This record gives sequence, structure tokens and C-alpha cells, in this order.
Amino acid sequence: MSDSKSSLNLSRREFLRLLGITAGVTTVNAIIAACAPAPTPAPTAAPPTAAPAAPTTAPVAPTAVPATAVPKPTGKISIYSALNQTTNDQLFAAFKAATPGVDVDVLPLAAAGELQTRITAEKASPKADIFVGGDRAFHDGLGKAGLLEAYKSPNANAVDAAYKQPDGLWTGWYLGIFSLVLNTERFAKEMAGVKKPTTWDDLLDAKWKGNLGYPDPVKTGGGYIFLATQIFRFNRDEAKAMAYMKALHANIAQYVGSSPQTITLTEQGQFIAAPNWAHDILTFKAQNKSPIELIVPENTGFEVGAVSIVKGGPNTNAAKSFVDWILTKPAGELNVKLSNRVAVLKDVPPAPGAPTLDTVKMVNFDWQWAADNKERLLKLWQTTVGM
Amino acid sequence: MRSITREPSVVFVLLILIALMGMFIVYPQIQVVLVPGLDGYFNFLAGETWIKPLFNSIQIMLLSTTTAVLLGFIYAYAMVYSDMRWKPFFRIVGLLPLLSPPFVVAAAYLLIFSLASRMLGQRINVLGIGGLWIVQTIAFFPFAYQLIADVLSRSDPRLEQAARNLGASAWNVFRTITLPLARPGLAAATLTTAIYIVEDFGNPILLLGKETVLATQAYSLISGFGDFTGAAVVSTILLALALALYVARLRLEGNKSYVTISGKATSIPRPPVPRAVSNACFVACLLLAIMILLVYGVLIISAFVQAFPFNMTPTWKNFEYIGEHSLPLRNTLAFGGTAAIICALFGLVLAFFVQRKQWFGRGVIDFIAIMPAAVPGIFWGIGYATAFNQKWFEAIAYPLFGREGTPGMLIIVALLFWNIPIGYQAVMAGLQQIDRSLDEAATSLGASTLRGFRDILAPMLGSALLTGFVTAFVRAVTTLSVVIFLFTPGTTVATITIFQKVNDADWGGAAAYTILVIGMAVLVLSAVYFISGRRAGLQKAPGG
Repeated sequence: MSDSKSSLNLSRREFLRLLGITAGVTTVNAIIAACAPAPTPAPTAAPPTAAPAAPTTAPVAPTAVPATAVPKPTGKISIYSALNQTTNDQLFAAFKAATPGVDVDVLPLAAAGELQTRITAEKASPKADIFVGGDRAFHDGLGKAGLLEAYKSPNANAVDAAYKQPDGLWTGWYLGIFSLVLNTERFAKEMAGVKKPTTWDDLLDAKWKGNLGYPDPVKTGGGYIFLATQIFRFNRDEAKAMAYMKALHANIAQYVGSSPQTITLTEQGQFIAAPNWAHDILTFKAQNKSPIELIVPENTGFEVGAVSIVKGGPNTNAAKSFVDWILTKPAGELNVKLSNRVAVLKDVPPAPGAPTLDTVKMVNFDWQWAADNKERLLKLWQTTVGM
Repeated sequence: MRSITREPSVVFVLLILIALMGMFIVYPQIQVVLVPGLDGYFNFLAGETWIKPLFNSIQIMLLSTTTAVLLGFIYAYAMVYSDMRWKPFFRIVGLLPLLSPPFVVAAAYLLIFSLASRMLGQRINVLGIGGLWIVQTIAFFPFAYQLIADVLSRSDPRLEQAARNLGASAWNVFRTITLPLARPGLAAATLTTAIYIVEDFGNPILLLGKETVLATQAYSLISGFGDFTGAAVVSTILLALALALYVARLRLEGNKSYVTISGKATSIPRPPVPRAVSNACFVACLLLAIMILLVYGVLIISAFVQAFPFNMTPTWKNFEYIGEHSLPLRNTLAFGGTAAIICALFGLVLAFFVQRKQWFGRGVIDFIAIMPAAVPGIFWGIGYATAFNQKWFEAIAYPLFGREGTPGMLIIVALLFWNIPIGYQAVMAGLQQIDRSLDEAATSLGASTLRGFRDILAPMLGSALLTGFVTAFVRAVTTLSVVIFLFTPGTTVATITIFQKVNDADWGGAAAYTILVIGMAVLVLSAVYFISGRRAGLQKAPGG
């Protein structure tokens, strides 16, 4: 009995102790917040070329930027990032180094769809300043819902008109090409007499049955780009595209919940091959020294990774400096180095071995049509394969 | 029994409890459930896309619950009744799976099976329903074990001893005494395990590719279609399923009295089980332990090499990274600890009111207290995000907790109420075995209800309380889905980071964080054990 009593006392003590810890954490946060410069725009004393994106090669005419329109950005910005963690760590560190006075809080979630959902859920009281990474379709959805702040960065002038929203709701800053990852070990051992696939149609060979992985088109951006690619490949003949997806379904072992996870499973040998992002395949191979190979089948599709500013976020002014910076050449080069993605800026060279839109035969990818028809096509696909 | 209306302090406490539950359990749910509207429900149900996931959910729930409860019972029986060797070892191993996020276990099993396939030159396929069944069984049997062990160890050995003295065989004693006495506990354990399994999200999302269950369908609808309406309907179907489980539990429990703690002292040992049974128990537990340890072996090796299994060069890089990024771990400890302690106390008081007092609306409150266990974590998180990410809530919370402190508080509250069923059911099971006459004697002698509760019942419920605390703590520190829509940059927790790392294919980093989460949970358990001088709830399956 007395034992039991002491355990109750313990709970009270523990409770207080842990409350203390929580209070400690919140206090520390509060102190940090207090020490950080207040996010109020500095007076107009800021120099005319205040845009902190100093090292830019983009044709920015200083006179085009009125001094009063660009107060010096300060304070902390909150970034919702769909990029992977290594890229986040180094990219944002570089931004901070290039933009003195601005600090960064990152909310990483390598699933752009979930970030889109989250920003939507927070619309009554937005917590994010920046949404970075993920295909433009995710950003465009938020833009159409009126949740994004239009901002035409001076550095966006160097970006091809096809890769940015005309009103400046979002701006593309990298390209990703959808390809195929092959487990060379299992392929050599089990697929004797089968040639390495060079077209998407090659995957329909019965030898592939049960050996293909595929990022779920409903849950992943990449999976949907693949589905849309098939429709464009058949000149928008949806019946033919669905017939292809149905035949492919027979060979697929699993629809995987995330694109990178699909590569991991292929590395492990759960699949022999799987459609996936070229840049991620290169990154994984280099990182893990795993027995995989990148194949870029002809007539493939691509994404345009975007950046956007959330309307009504805590620090919109400083958020603009981030958009300016990520469109600079050094930021593009860093992203290429970290993630093997292709920069939208023509003067940033691609990573060694990385395919580009010039070196690969692409389908005529009408992203706007794909975005507008996404729900209908996914449901059509679900009905077709019986998911 | 006196009416509670005669005691204003009792009514006051009760009203506060009910108000808090209304605010933090019912309100966020209603926010989401009302979203579809009648038309939304009709249209979605007419689409029939929910039928297959429902079927899959029921199928996998039946399969995994059966095996998990079966294994949990064997493990619990072995720990409580047999005199097998290595009990302390098995006790610790049985705890491990509770301490790590389920999706890490699934990821580790994928690795193990692919390694085995490479070594054997024979493909073992763990993707699909079969693989999910295996992994869920292993991931959830420890939960069943903890609940069942608690019940078994509380039953009175004298009954069994008497039966043996009267000539009953060990098997007959087991069949006619041990099992019936364990029935409410078994029913509760089965119910709880079934609900864990049916709402499990991490394992199916990793292992089920060509099939969907309700929890993953709700997630797909949101992340794929932004379809809150459909997700709300699917989650409501899940709720209905949970309700069915709940009703089944009530029926199973029946009206029999299972009181085994009465005012008389007991201290006789349990009758010995036959040698052969003890040996069988040892072998069974050893096999289960090996299956569990494989996962943690892989985790430990992965954390200390460059890229398991391709590049086995030893490295400290994963832990060096954590040294620079320890905020998630600190948050996990603070949030999980605070939520679990309040949760256990809340469950204690609430269970007392529901089990011992008569008042209008008791059944409704009982249901509301159980309901969170039936709500998919992801739905719970979205409910909180939409219900409390509002100007009015900030107007109340900011002055109290500050702009920086509020998100952390919200996470604590979300974890607390999400875990209410844990604290509540643990105390409930304990209360059902304590004779009413004990606390009624106190109140007859003039003690107030609160005094009788504090001095008589609460001390006897110490182990149930610790069970509630520890289980709520480990669930709070291992959940991903509840926090995924609530965390802010300053309130990141370890499971988020681990999930990120699994997605980034930084398996070593994920493993390192997982090891530290487990280490932290072990430390908290040890602290509870050490300070209280008795075995904490989760470890409470002793031989004596």
C-alpha cells in the first residue's frame, strides 16, 4: 500500500519536473524570439539596391527597383520545404550567409501534397512565409485558392516564361525529369534474355511481372507526372493511356507511398525496376553506393519545382528576399550540387550524368492541363486498375 | 450511495472534466465530421470506393488482432505463470517494440527480408496483406502483452491454489479459472489492440501497395485529392467500426463479477505450472524475442555505418548530426512526458467517476473517453489544426503561453487527449477488480467522495496509473500522424525527423534518432521504476 502511495507522489513530482522542462523549452524559445531582431521593416534609409540577392547575374536594373518599395528585410522567415533534408540544411545555411539579418525556421515535409494541405488548413492564420519545392501544380492549386502572395522577383526575369506563373504567384527554380531506376544486381541475375528498357512500353514485357515498383500516383507528385506522361505519349488518347496503365498494373508489385521510398525499395531488391526522378536516382546511387542504375526512357515527362510566398504569413517582406535569392546563380548551382536537379537558369550547368530537357526526348507535357484534370484522371485510373 | 449532487466539489470537478473533453475531444472531431454535410456523405457512399478499403481493414484487423492477442497472451502467461528462465530479459525485450515508431519496425523488416532474400537466393515477398499481417503482429503484440499481463497478475492466486488442492489439473485450472478471470482484461486488450491495428497508418502505407485500408485511404484522399469531405466520410466509417468493437466489448464483459481485490490480504504464490509448460513458454518467448531483436540489431548496425547494407564503413556521422540537431529529441521528451502525466491523472479521475458514480450522461462520457483511440491519428491532427488554428484560440492562448509557446502547448494537449483512452481504460480495468464495498465503507464512515477516492482507491490503483502513464508516454513519443499537421519549426519532434530521414533514404540517420528515442523512453521507464521502488506498469508482469 505504502508503495503504491509513493508511486502516486512520484507522478506528481515527475509531473512538476516535466512541466519544468516544458516551461524551460518555451522560455528558451521566447528568449530566442526576443533576441532576434523584430520583423518590422527598417526605415527607408536602406540603400536603393536593398534586394540582398547581391550575387546575381540576372539582368536586374537597379533603377527599376524604387527604393521605398524594398525595405531591408529583417527577422525570421518560416519556410515550408518539400526538399530533402540535406538540401534543406545546406541551402538555407547559404541563404542566411547571403542575407545578413534574416533567420530561417524550416518545416521540412518531403511531401508537397501534405504541405499544400497544411497551408490550406492554416489559412485562417498562416504560419508559413515560403513554400519551396514540389511541382508547380501544388503551388498553382494554392494560388488558385487565393492563398499565395503575388511577387515578381527581379531575378525571375531570367526564368523562362513557361516556368513561372504570369502574375508572380509562384516561380519555377528547378526541373526534374522522370526516369527509371534499375537494380543491376537482380536484373543481371533474374532477367536473362531481357534487354534493358529504353521505352515505357518495354515495361509491359511479361518478364517484369511482380518486379516493378511505382510511386503511387494518388499520393506522390512523381507518380501523377508519370500517369500524365502516358496520356501525352498517346496524344491525349485517354483510352489508350489507361490500357497501358492497366497492362502495367499487372507487372507492378507495389504502389509505394513516396517517391524516394520507391528508390530505397529498389536498392534493397524488392523491385528490379521502378519509374522515378532522375536526380534522386543519381543522388541515392552516389550516397549509398547501391547497385542501381539510372535509365531515361524516351518520351518522358518532367516537373518544374517552384517557390511561392504564402499570403498573410508572419514576415512577407523577408520572404521576398528568399525568393530573390533562390533565383540567383549561386543558389541554383548549390541546388544542382546537393540534389542533382536541373536549374531553370540557363547559365547553371547540370550535374555530371544528369539528363536535361535538351538531352532527352520529352513528351509534349501540358502541365496546366494535367493539373486541371488531375482529380478526374486519378479517379479514372483508380477505376481502370480497380484500386 | 449518495447522489453526487449533494457534493458540490465533486460536481465541480466533473464539470471541468466534461468541459475539457468537450473542447478537446468532441469539438475538433465535430469540426471535421460536419465538413461533408449530408450530400457529401451520400455522394461519397454512392461512389462505393470505400467498400474495398473497409473490407481490407476488417480483414487485416481480424488477422493481426488474432495473432497479436494470441502471442501477447502467450507472452503474458509465460511471464506471470511459468517459472521459465530469463524473465528479466524477456520483460525488456517485450518492451522494445512499444518504444519505437511502428513505421521504423516496418522499414527494418523490409530490410531484413531483402537481406534474407539475397542470402538465400530466394525471394521472400513481404509487400502486401501477408507482410502487413506479419509486421503488425510483431509491432502490436507487445501492447496486448502489457494489457493482458496486467490483468493476469492482478488475479487472486488463492482461487487457483484452491482448485489445484481440490484436484483440478493445470489445464482445468487454466480453462475454468485463469481464463474466465482474465476475460474483461482480454476483452479490453483485444478491443484496444484491434483499434490500434485498424487505425495503424505507418505500416500499411509502407507495406500495402496495391491495396488500401481505411486509414491510408483517408490519407490518400487528403494528400492526393485534397478531399477533406471524402476523408471525413472514410474516418467516420472507421469510427463506426470502432463503435462496433466497443459494443462487442460491453457484451463480452457481461455481468459477471470479477472482483479479486477485496478487503482481505493475499500473499500466496501461484500454483506451479508443469515443467513442460514452462519449457514451452521459454521456447515461445525466445522465438518472439529473436524476431524483435533482429529489428533492433539492424537499427543499431544501421546507425553506425555509412549506408547499410551497401557501405558498411563505420561512422559516427549520424550521431554527430544529432548532436547539432537535438531540438526534436528535447521536444519529444517534454511534450510526451507532460502529456502522459496529465493523461494518466485525468484518466484516473474520469474512470472513477464513470465506474463508481451514478449520473446522467455517464455512458456518453464513457464513449467520448474511448473514442480518441478510434480516431486515426492523421484525422486527429487535422482536426486540431483546423479547430485551433484560429484567431479566437490564439487570442486565448497567446497571453497564456506566448506566441512561441502555443504550438507546443497545442501538441501537448493533442497528445494528452488522444491518449485519454489509455489512461482511462487502464484505470477502468483496475477499478472493475476492486470491490465497491471498500470505498463505500469509507464514505459510509463519513469520508467525502473525493477523500474516499484519494485515500482508498487511488493508492490501490497505483499500478494502473503507472500503466496509463508509461503507455501514454510511449505512444506520445512514437506517434507520427498526430503531430504531422501540428508541429511547427520550433516544435519538431523526433518522429517527424525520423519520418523525414526514412523518406530521404537516410536510413542510418533515421536509425540513430530511433535509438535515441528508445534510449530516452528506457531512461524514463527506469526513472519511474527507480524512484517508485516498484515495477512500473509496463514492466508489471513479474513472476511474483
